[in-house]
Amino acid sequence: MSAPPLVAEGLAKHFRRNDWALRNLTLTIPKGAIVGLAGPNAAGKSTLLSLAAGLLAPSQGSITVFGRDPLQSPEVLAEVGYVAQGAPLYRSFRVADTIEYARRTNSRWDAEIATELLTRIDSRAKVAALSAGERARVALALALGKRPRLVLLDEPFASLDPLAGRELLQLLMDGVAELGATVIVASHVVADIQRICDHIVLLSGGRVRLEGDVEELLESHRLLTGPRRPLGSIRGVREVVRERYSGRQLTLLAITEGPIVDPSWTVDPVSLEELLLAYMAPERLPAPRTTEGVPLRWHG
Amino acid sequence: MIQFHLDPQSGVATYLQIVRQVQDALRLGTLDVGDQLPTVREVVADLAVNPNTVAKAYRELEHEGLVTARQGRGTFIASTLAPASLQHHAELRREFERWLASAQRAGLDEDSIRALLATTLRESLARRVA
Amino acid sequence: MAWVTWRQHGSQAFAALGLLIALGVAAVLTHLPIASAFGHDSLSACVPPAPRTGCDIIVPHFESQFSGLVTATRILAVLPLLAGLFVGAPLIARELEFGTYRFAWTQGVSRRRWLLSKTTLLAAGTILAAGVASVVVMWWRSPFDQLEGRIAPGGFEIEGLVVPAYALFALALGVLAGLVLRRTVTAMTVTLVVFGAVRLLVSDFVRPHFMAPLHRVIAATATSAAPRDWVLSNTLVNAGGRRVSAANEELAVLHAQQAGIDPHTYIVTLGWSRIVSYQPAGRFWTFQLFEAGLFVALAVVLVLVAVWLIRRTPA
Repeated sequence: MSAPPLVAEGLAKHFRRNDWALRNLTLTIPKGAIVGLAGPNAAGKSTLLSLAAGLLAPSQGSITVFGRDPLQSPEVLAEVGYVAQGAPLYRSFRVADTIEYARRTNSRWDAEIATELLTRIDSRAKVAALSAGERARVALALALGKRPRLVLLDEPFASLDPLAGRELLQLLMDGVAELGATVIVASHVVADIQRICDHIVLLSGGRVRLEGDVEELLESHRLLTGPRRPLGSIRGVREVVRERYSGRQLTLLAITEGPIVDPSWTVDPVSLEELLLAYMAPERLPAPRTTEGVPLRWHG
Repeated sequence: MIQFHLDPQSGVATYLQIVRQVQDALRLGTLDVGDQLPTVREVVADLAVNPNTVAKAYRELEHEGLVTARQGRGTFIASTLAPASLQHHAELRREFERWLASAQRAGLDEDSIRALLATTLRESLARRVA
Repeated sequence: MAWVTWRQHGSQAFAALGLLIALGVAAVLTHLPIASAFGHDSLSACVPPAPRTGCDIIVPHFESQFSGLVTATRILAVLPLLAGLFVGAPLIARELEFGTYRFAWTQGVSRRRWLLSKTTLLAAGTILAAGVASVVVMWWRSPFDQLEGRIAPGGFEIEGLVVPAYALFALALGVLAGLVLRRTVTAMTVTLVVFGAVRLLVSDFVRPHFMAPLHRVIAATATSAAPRDWVLSNTLVNAGGRRVSAANEELAVLHAQQAGIDPHTYIVTLGWSRIVSYQPAGRFWTFQLFEAGLFVALAVVLVLVAVWLIRRTPA
């Protein structure tokens, strides 16, 4: 099975007329990547994950999971572990019932993985009585227990306190290490996911603004600070993504193609959060940056 | 067994932080030849980091000859940092002092030198690993 | 999916069981005086077609004694609707309302299989429960069925094969309503309204024509047209066979009263009679089959529509 975990081609989705949640999205997620799906609220992250999980049908274009259409091929559902926003569960069920439900509706079930995630949770407790962190762990146990090859998590850390959030992250990474699965985690809080992501997809307004390997992106972008002046071309800078000035100081976020030797610039690395914020801003939109050597095209 | 910690704000890549912590432990003597490093899964469950990152760190350490991975048994320290490097230190330091003098003659002040040093060091390390 | 269906609908099964037990107990308790009156007056000998003399007094007495109770049992026609309101409507609507469809439909079972399995199992349970209710009612109504027949709507709609058929129809209607409307309460309301409308339409406009009605001429003064048959119309006609309008009927009565003659005798001397259009009692099971078949077919169509539509939900 060599098809990539997720491929979107010209994918678009609208709900009511002119309410386009996703526009002309083309994306390939590499196998084994841990992908952070970042972007502000209503950027289209949940829509994308719902499409991948076979809950929605595309309005235009296509989406395939391991080479198959999730809506037409129910067998691919067994390969995808999906936790929707808010981790919806049957509130009147006990934890044990919920696990049993997943066990009986999935052809592959690993009770050990599920049990590991449920330590310190009473299996006879009703789901409605669990804390947010415990519910998130149950939802994760359900998703990982079927030994999926693709894990989709929609805002799993929302409404979790930092301790519960860290615990969830640990359990998730441990599970992923055992399964060797590809993971896509959607979160509008970059700090939650930047620990774990080796690949980032930034969505805003239903479009991909930035996409690629995190290390390569961090390597190819630099923050240049210097005295305010009219800009010509700067040696070593391929493109300026964003510029800001205050008083006499000018700060640029630039894509570099070599060392910056001009001593009038202070060159600093940029954090992932800064990078994403810069690409999210609606004004001065850059062409999306991909790392496959594809010529950059204007997507504005 | 060594326990790793991660500083997400440091700007240093996660895998490098792990590599350096092993190197520091070797220098301080808290790790010795034959000691076992935590498994990838143990590190992942403890730090909540990407398993690929830990694997990369261990590969780098193996590349530097500091550890060996024994199939099915774990990753073990293979050698300490050669004290012979002390000899090189003196030579390298002299070379560096000569360079510093050139830089100062060219007009670079302390902050410019620091900036140049930090950038070049980072870029050359990244190039080596890529 | 059997375990899943049981886990999610088991409480509904127990509620239905409770309802059936209550129905059974009520039936037994209320039947005691009926059975005793029936036996005490040897009413079994009054069963048409050859009643003995005196029946024309004791039968009406018996009927009026229990007419309130018999009329009250017509409320049982609501029972099949409960399957639609409390089992069918929430089935999909609840999942959509609470967002749990995002869990249920992302496991290894396709939506269509999920819906079909659940609906089939629930349909089986519904048929069983409705069947039991139907049998209880038939047992309870037996004395009245013998004397008054059961092909008329009062008995027809709460006995026999139609009860499970109505219940299946209600269930399917509820399921489809829940899928389309996505809100449980709205789906319940629509199920109620559509169920009532369809039942009414069928009983008033379709059932009378399952087979061509028979006609019979009876005396203008006859009080009972056809005791066990289902009378569709009872028309006063003159000697020439033409329908007599209500106005003319009143005129004749007035004329008779002014002349000091008994109006009934007067009408007879005028040569007037009544033409009764009816469905005979013997057609009961045939009509049951037609109506049950109709509602089951409707139920199947509704479920198939739901199965086709569910892939496109949410849009």
